[in-house]
Amino acid sequence: MASARNPAAGRPCLRLWWRPKGDTMGRYFSDLFGGSASILRSMWVTLRYLFTPAITVQYPDEQRPQPLRALNRHVLTIEESTGQIKCTACEACARICPTRCIELTGAGKGKARRASAFTIDHNLCMYCNLCVEVCPFDAITMWTRIGELSTAARSGLVYDLKIMTADRFYPTPMTPERPPASEPEPEKVEAGATVPSS
Amino acid sequence: MGLFDNQQIEPGVVTTTVEWLFNWSRKSSLWPMTFGLACCAIEMMATGASRFDLDRLGAGVFRPSPRQSDVMIVAGTVTEKMAPRIKTLYEQMPDPKWVIAMGACAISGGPFYYDAYHVVKGVDLLVPVDVYVPGCPPTPEALIYGILTLQEQITRGERAKPGGRPTLPTPLVAA
Repeated sequence: MASARNPAAGRPCLRLWWRPKGDTMGRYFSDLFGGSASILRSMWVTLRYLFTPAITVQYPDEQRPQPLRALNRHVLTIEESTGQIKCTACEACARICPTRCIELTGAGKGKARRASAFTIDHNLCMYCNLCVEVCPFDAITMWTRIGELSTAARSGLVYDLKIMTADRFYPTPMTPERPPASEPEPEKVEAGATVPSS
Repeated sequence: MGLFDNQQIEPGVVTTTVEWLFNWSRKSSLWPMTFGLACCAIEMMATGASRFDLDRLGAGVFRPSPRQSDVMIVAGTVTEKMAPRIKTLYEQMPDPKWVIAMGACAISGGPFYYDAYHVVKGVDLLVPVDVYVPGCPPTPEALIYGILTLQEQITRGERAKPGGRPTLPTPLVAA
């Protein structure tokens, strides 16, 4: 039934505003059956999803596992041996910040220099991770899980040194992604033992 | 009159109860406006979709008209061209109305705070904002947490003061 002039003729089609000449009755019924089949097909998809487990994360009760490098609120990391912050107030982060939302001052001389005030304005922060990448001491990290930051006032979004050091142990950019596996060596021995025999 | 036998009846006990009921029903059916300005709107759509179901909180009925909506989620960069439209949309909403500023651009201009001629430095210069949700863009969890914060505010009966932020904040670092 498909002709060169009208390749769509004869196919089940719901375009009722345009119809080829001839065979009007057959086209009418093919449209009807095609439409019904299409509805049944889509309802079948819906019916199948009715019996799959729900993918909804019940958020306030249950947390989604976030990606390992998900960027959240900053945390200033702490040297575990000394208990001090690692930040030496070199201001590399403040200089590279595209939105200039970091303000910090340092105190002390030489090796003992530490940040005495450190403020990140999350009204402006665009979560680009540049401050973390540029930090030569891995003193700041965004790989935290602190993402619930809503407040009723803008002043509640300015985080200072005290807030950002309240959570002590967070991974730094130098932390390996996962602990090194201790499994492969015995597997290799077993494989070496089994491969020649087989 | 056995209803309040065991407690002292204050003059406003009926009105406060009715007000609590109103606030409870308002917080349980926050209807947001279908309204997205930039990439934060993608996260807002993700929040409304089936993985993070906003309908669980009663806030998933995105209305196509400001006349039917209760909360305006300003999701994205507020440009100078869009600013009068946003103000018009806010004024068209019926009165118990709330505004969520979502993302750094809506809160303060974000990446466009310095050296940008075309971005309003925070939507609270235009309309009163109830909840600020930081992020660039905020995750769906952050937006849901913002809506939960707004629901707590509504339960307490708080409102944003009209007019918003009076002046621009002083920049943290000299531009």
